[in-house]
Amino acid sequence: MTHRIWAIALNTFREAARIRVLYGILVLVFGSNLFAIVLGEMSIRDADRVARDVGLASISLFGSLTAIFLGVFLLYTEVQRRTIHAIVCKPIERWEFVVGKYLGMACVLSVLVGVFALAMTAMLLYQGVGVSGAIARALVLAWFEVLTVAAIAIFFSSFSTPFLSGIFALAIWVIGRLTPDIELAIRTGSPWIKSTAQVALWIVPDVHLFSPSGRVVEGVATSVHGAFVDWSYVGLAGLHGLGYIVFLLALACVFFHRRDFA
Amino acid sequence: MDSAISVRDLRKTYRTPFRRKRVEALRGVTFTVQRGQIFGFVGPNGAGKTTTIRTLMGLIKPTGGSATILGHALPSRAARERLGFLPETPYFYDYLTVGELLDLAGRIFGLPSATRRKRADELIERVGLGRARTQSLKKFSKGMLQRAGLAQALMNDPELVVLDEPMSGLDPIGRKEVRDLIVELREQGKTVFFSSHILTDIEAIADRVAIIARGQLQAEGTPAELIRRTVLGIDVAVRIANAADITELVDGATRVHRAGDELSLTLATDADVDAWLARARERGARVVAVTPRHETLEDLFMREIATADSSAAAKEGRV
Repeated sequence: MTHRIWAIALNTFREAARIRVLYGILVLVFGSNLFAIVLGEMSIRDADRVARDVGLASISLFGSLTAIFLGVFLLYTEVQRRTIHAIVCKPIERWEFVVGKYLGMACVLSVLVGVFALAMTAMLLYQGVGVSGAIARALVLAWFEVLTVAAIAIFFSSFSTPFLSGIFALAIWVIGRLTPDIELAIRTGSPWIKSTAQVALWIVPDVHLFSPSGRVVEGVATSVHGAFVDWSYVGLAGLHGLGYIVFLLALACVFFHRRDFA
Repeated sequence: MDSAISVRDLRKTYRTPFRRKRVEALRGVTFTVQRGQIFGFVGPNGAGKTTTIRTLMGLIKPTGGSATILGHALPSRAARERLGFLPETPYFYDYLTVGELLDLAGRIFGLPSATRRKRADELIERVGLGRARTQSLKKFSKGMLQRAGLAQALMNDPELVVLDEPMSGLDPIGRKEVRDLIVELREQGKTVFFSSHILTDIEAIADRVAIIARGQLQAEGTPAELIRRTVLGIDVAVRIANAADITELVDGATRVHRAGDELSLTLATDADVDAWLARARERGARVVAVTPRHETLEDLFMREIATADSSAAAKEGRV
């Protein structure tokens, strides 16, 4: 089983490594870090704070957008281009194919987040700011976020077109980012808004968990520049993400299993 | 000994996307492919050949009937371990080289690294892609892709090889090579099930033939069983001067072709050939060939398709 999943994952990684779009994203990485340095220089004080905020936001934003971009094409293209015909007739189960595709994409995104993190570290060192434990934890959380968003995209890709999958995945990610506001709506909104917001909370993963900076966690205002969440929070957030990833991949496998490849 | 492929009353009904109209792609297809045979599967476009093959390969789920491959009921991973498949107009990951494509196939089959390399090298040479092994598939012509597809279908040294239009896109030399490869596979004891539009290829190498039209099997058997051995006409070829009057010679012929001083025509089976030849000689003709014309697979194919069309038309008329 593992060798088949690994074969698909390796092939997916190879595919991503050979498409030039990713090199464009790497340009974005360095562009955003350059932007952070310029923005820091322009601020009267707290240049390092700006650099950290812009760097982390870039990882979250570009990493998640890349996950959506790659994820929505992942299964759709296989079916549309009929490359899957020569694969699923071999002794591989369809769920192994879906999991292999996800793991391959997760490897690509992990490399991407790693490059983002290295670029950000280099930028912080250039500015004479050390890399704190809070930054390391924030980076791990951003990585979890990107992997969760990738699972959302691949779930939609198992039954929908890239355009619609992109819209749905983007919507889920944005709504997931707004969970504190949805919680507020539940407390203060009209009954109709309350019930709608409650349903949204049940369905949508709490992506905001992965960027706690500026949020009150257990009564403490957290900030990557000051008191930040500890590793146990990171672990719990990771488990939340993992739960969603497993759930979404299981659904994607069910949908993919039911499909005819005509 | 059990059969390589056994299909019983296989059915597939689609619904069109918007109008939800029912389309019966397969309407109770039944046939058996014995082990060690080359089985040719023939039919016009839209007859159900590819749907049958895709159903057997697990790409499409049937709406009715059953099938077994190498003794395993579908869907079966155990069967897929022992078969190789070349899809119609193969599409592969075009960023890979042929070696990487075969490596991917070998990995899925769980072959050890050394076996994958050895087998890939052998197959790349066997299908004549040795000089293109470092090129990405993106740069391959249609014929080269077909060869790469054949190589990946043989990566696991399968007992059963299913080829959907393997000669499609190949030049005459390529077609000959694929025909030779199919015969070689049978000599190695493998079963080959292949579909083709090229009836001469099927007639040349297939042990058994099935003709499908409108989602139903019209005929199945060995070419000798299916093709009528009765004489359909007499083909005559003569050389005769351009100025000679041939009006009397071509009278009653079912087919006439004249190119320069060569005249070829087909006489009816009950025609007096001796008398015709005597008349031709009187006009200075030199006889080149006189051959009886038997039914070919193409004749059979056209006959079966016409029968299927007329019975479908009669059915629609009744409705």
